[in-house]
Amino acid sequence: MQVELSDEELCRQVASRDAHAFDLLVERYQARAFRLARSILGNDADAHDLSQDAFIRLYESAHKFDGRSSFSTWFHRILVNLCIDQQRRSKWWRRLVPLSGSGDDDDTPPIDPASDDPGPDLRIIESETAGELRAALDRLSPNQRAAVLMQAEGLSSKEIGQVLKCSESTARVHVYRAVTELKKAMRNV
Amino acid sequence: MFERHPETALIPYSRGELSGDERARVEAHLRGCDRCRGLVESSSAVLNAVGQMMSEVREPDWIAYRAELRRKLAARQEPREAWWRPRLAWGWRSLAAVGAAAIALLLIVSIRKPLQPAGPPMDQIAMESELKGADIGLLQNYKVVEHLDLLENYDVIENLPSTPQQGNEKSS
Repeated sequence: MQVELSDEELCRQVASRDAHAFDLLVERYQARAFRLARSILGNDADAHDLSQDAFIRLYESAHKFDGRSSFSTWFHRILVNLCIDQQRRSKWWRRLVPLSGSGDDDDTPPIDPASDDPGPDLRIIESETAGELRAALDRLSPNQRAAVLMQAEGLSSKEIGQVLKCSESTARVHVYRAVTELKKAMRNV
Repeated sequence: MFERHPETALIPYSRGELSGDERARVEAHLRGCDRCRGLVESSSAVLNAVGQMMSEVREPDWIAYRAELRRKLAARQEPREAWWRPRLAWGWRSLAAVGAAAIALLLIVSIRKPLQPAGPPMDQIAMESELKGADIGLLQNYKVVEHLDLLENYDVIENLPSTPQQGNEKSS
């Protein structure tokens, strides 16, 4: 019977440049890394690049993992820091070069007006809610956004604190404030 | 019982993070506070909506994703090696050149050493020149001395003048 190695053990093997261990860790974390990066950054392309950058950082600094926190927390810290830095950079850049709205993109496929599937009203409401939610997430501070997304992803307040390098009670405040803002946005739908 | 509403503890409570005393205190508060019970429900609904939004993210082709990741990783390692290689090669070359020069220098020194032996001390030179000076008189009468093969004629040698000038004086 083959025993599945823990993330921490795999990380130690990655530190010894074990390519197979690295592949296993990537397979375990690729979906949640991409999902979290996509939710923080709001677009697929940046999420794709940033999540891959996080794995590259993991490979290059696996020897620095000391086991004081779980591997999951350590890796999330790498990922979230990369995403927050990227957001700060892109916001600075957008201030100089304002981008056109996503609906103006020529590559966007046109909506078929003759579609036979009108979709239930509920879907429209959900879509509006998701749009409002997305917009409200974008208005949050980087730490609040990361905190609420990690909470939704299943991390505890303690782990969120470790990722954001703050106390557990500060992490709780970030989540609480973020949820309060998101509630306001959802009430408006 | 909380004096104030335990707002920041409500989400951790609803997600089962609280333990022991804190959990008991929040539960006690919730029994008597409609507002906080409402907050627990609405916060859970928001977090579920966020979770739902996250789960609807269209995932990439993971095989292509990992292949690209491996290429990126290899590309990051490549420049480092290329950066190192010439430096390393240059380092070895210069080290070899310095080593060869040192060996050549040692060889030159060791070959030249027997040709130019170290001179004797100054005292020894002075003594030798004194002795040579003393023999000069004898050598100046070499013509007489070379014909003397017998020890009996030693008296002749004894009576030789010490310098040629003396000999000339005696003869004149």
